[in-house]
Amino acid sequence: MSRDQNAFAYLYDSYAGALLGVIVRIVQKEEMAEEVLQDVFLKIWDRIGSYDREKGKLFTWMVNIARNQAIDKTRSKEFSKDKQTGNIGKFVNRIDADDHIELGVEAIGLSDLLHKLPEEQQFVIEKHYLRGYTQSEISEEFNLPLGTVKTRMRLAMQLLRNLLVK
Amino acid sequence: MNIEAYIASGVLEAYVQGQLSAAEIAEVEQNLVRYPQLRSELKAIEDTHEALLQQMAIQPKPSTRQKLLTQIQKPSTGKIVPLKSEEVINYRWVAAAAVFIALVASWFAFDYRGKWKDSQRELTDLIAQNQQVADNYNTVNERLDRLETDIKIINNPAFRRVVLKGTEQAPSALASVYWNETSKEVYLSIQEMKELSAENQYQLWAIIDGKPVDAGVFDLTKGRLLRMKDVKPGATTFAVTIEPKGGKTAPTLQTMQVAGNVIEG
Repeated sequence: MSRDQNAFAYLYDSYAGALLGVIVRIVQKEEMAEEVLQDVFLKIWDRIGSYDREKGKLFTWMVNIARNQAIDKTRSKEFSKDKQTGNIGKFVNRIDADDHIELGVEAIGLSDLLHKLPEEQQFVIEKHYLRGYTQSEISEEFNLPLGTVKTRMRLAMQLLRNLLVK
Repeated sequence: MNIEAYIASGVLEAYVQGQLSAAEIAEVEQNLVRYPQLRSELKAIEDTHEALLQQMAIQPKPSTRQKLLTQIQKPSTGKIVPLKSEEVINYRWVAAAAVFIALVASWFAFDYRGKWKDSQRELTDLIAQNQQVADNYNTVNERLDRLETDIKIINNPAFRRVVLKGTEQAPSALASVYWNETSKEVYLSIQEMKELSAENQYQLWAIIDGKPVDAGVFDLTKGRLLRMKDVKPGATTFAVTIEPKGGKTAPTLQTMQVAGNVIEG
């Protein structure tokens, strides 16, 4: 293997799990999520030269590629064909699906962590990180001003900073 | 722009979470360049974001990894990829690796330089401290030597102690003379005497055969014995007067501060 491929393997081993988590929580189908993950890594391989560290961490850049690729997938024909419930079921589907999304062992520690947050902050974190909601979706679905969603997210992230990053 | 309010709005979180429109993203990126203090905040948010997502990782099937590695090794499978593109990609990775290595190296250089400078500063401090301790030790040692000598004199039975009590002019004054009649040595110890002006000095006198003999001038010095001029045998009284600096040949009796008789024993 060349050095590039080693670098690629390193990126994959370090981040594939986190990226697949993001994708699964959006597309809700494990098999399809693994396909999206492959597309995502091919895109990363192809576009690594356009990554600009002035604009943020490599991880953030990769997650954004994964999220966009996953959202694109949910809009594809293949996805709607595969989907058993209709459009109105979008959110319901997600909530119903909670039970069968495997969050992994670490996620148990995570839910303990989230319980340390005030309820309204826990709510936005869960909706975004665990259910794959965008901030606009949270705002529309739960009738919260977008600005409120943003500031609650900020407060939650600040608390989590102290709890998570050490 | 009010940076605090900007950060508090949660726009950086939304940026990291990919929740902004293209126009909003461009604005944040401009601000990151313009206000460097936003960078550290962004980094902290990104670290939290990454830690959260790593906690929620779902491991892919091993076959996915294998498929991908095969695919990137043969970039032409299934698609027509110009040969050049591989080279371009390679250079990109090499460039990325080079930048990374340069960053790591410069971080180490920076870090070591900092540590080296710190060590140098500490060393300078330690040398200064050491010097201080050595000086203090020398001072203490000298004092100790002097005290030992003083104690030897005080304990030596060949020295006779003469207590000089305050006169009417200075009732609270008190001093002692240690006189060795055989060696003629005289030491003075001041217990209590007043401070003199700069133009005056104390002068010690010995009365021998009824006549005052100069035994040396001295300044107010407490806590140790003062070596005075030798006094030959036959002195019956010691006394201290205040005289102009340098002393006089005959005492000014009006300024007598302390006096005491030698007690034969």
